[in-house]
Amino acid sequence: MTDRLLGRVAVVTGAGQGVGEGIARRLAAEGAHVVVAARRAETGEAVTHAIVSAGGSAVCLETDVTDRASVAACVRGAVERFGALHIMVHNAFSGAVSHRLEDADLDRHWERMSQTAVWGSFHCAQIAYPHLAAAGSQGRLILVTSPSGVEGSANIPLYSPVKAAQRAMVKSLAREWGHHGITANCIAPVAASPALVSAFEQNPALRRAIEERTPLGRVGDITDDIGSVALFLAGDDASFVTGQTIVCDGGSFLGL
Amino acid sequence: MGSADTPPVSAVIRPSFDTIARPFDTITDEQWNDAWETPMRDTVAELQAAFRGGARRIVVIVPTTAMSGGSCHVHLAAPAEAVRVLVKSAARQWGRHGVTVNVVAVAPEDFDIDPSIAGPTSLAPPALSDRDPTALIEFLCSEAAGDVTGQTIVVDGGVWM
Repeated sequence: MTDRLLGRVAVVTGAGQGVGEGIARRLAAEGAHVVVAARRAETGEAVTHAIVSAGGSAVCLETDVTDRASVAACVRGAVERFGALHIMVHNAFSGAVSHRLEDADLDRHWERMSQTAVWGSFHCAQIAYPHLAAAGSQGRLILVTSPSGVEGSANIPLYSPVKAAQRAMVKSLAREWGHHGITANCIAPVAASPALVSAFEQNPALRRAIEERTPLGRVGDITDDIGSVALFLAGDDASFVTGQTIVCDGGSFLGL
Repeated sequence: MGSADTPPVSAVIRPSFDTIARPFDTITDEQWNDAWETPMRDTVAELQAAFRGGARRIVVIVPTTAMSGGSCHVHLAAPAEAVRVLVKSAARQWGRHGVTVNVVAVAPEDFDIDPSIAGPTSLAPPALSDRDPTALIEFLCSEAAGDVTGQTIVVDGGVWM
């Protein structure tokens, strides 16, 4: 453990598993007090236990990002527990279901993705804002998007727009909040999340296909590869980087 | 099949966005619902109707604020960019049916948006004095544009480059 984020306070949504877990672990390993915001307490508690066992500082708060009151309670809990909020990372997302656009049922194929990705970003950013402003040049908003938010998707067409919306949100908030010193950025990862690992188990050819089209020849690690990019954006080294999307996928997507 | 004499059935979609400047921290849930959900759901419905109606050329018009973002316009930039990328998804799915779907991005002023806070930022002045997208839309709706899909073409007088 080092101290690049010593004393900073971070909320990471969707931190009970996958990319969120990797980000939470990486930020905590650098000295941040981390709120592991998870929809299911059992997953969040396990990550929290692992962080604390490794010498870090973390607390789990059960949080539903689609519910403004729940996000407000999470942020309030972070501030009450640790005294401030410097870094808001919104990663939580619901599973996407493949569909054909012409047949898409918005209640089934849109509602949950819109709620978790876009409404969740709205709630997290808006409720964190006064605390990020108070943190000044240490204030950070990080939204986890996807390469599909840039290039569209042939399999899940309504997934792409919710991820694109997040990119536009950070560009806009970078412009609106820059005078405070707050930065707002996106990460677009491809990593070995539980969902992707499960997909690999069911379809080994998928892993080979992804690895073959990836210049670095592998899928990212949630902590070492993705968490480290979040650490960069959360820390002082990125204080002049705002409104950007960093694609961390081993070079598979090169369209930016 | 269309021909030079019988142009393909086309649809031009211009979503309605909330163009009022609103500081992000003042936006209510009701305003966010109107600004985000309404144009997205309406645009999906319009795309579906165009496809089901046999359109083979679909053009969607958005402001360049989609790409640039905008201060006090989070609630506009988010759905505008989402629509722009939704078009790419539609292009990927509907190409095998011979359907092309493209975006024409116009100046913020053409959506009554203040470009000083919600448009592309450039030290350079506009490269052109005119910014009429009519001819481009006509081309994208023509048989000749059958190999162009999923693209965003900007007609804003040469500001966003």
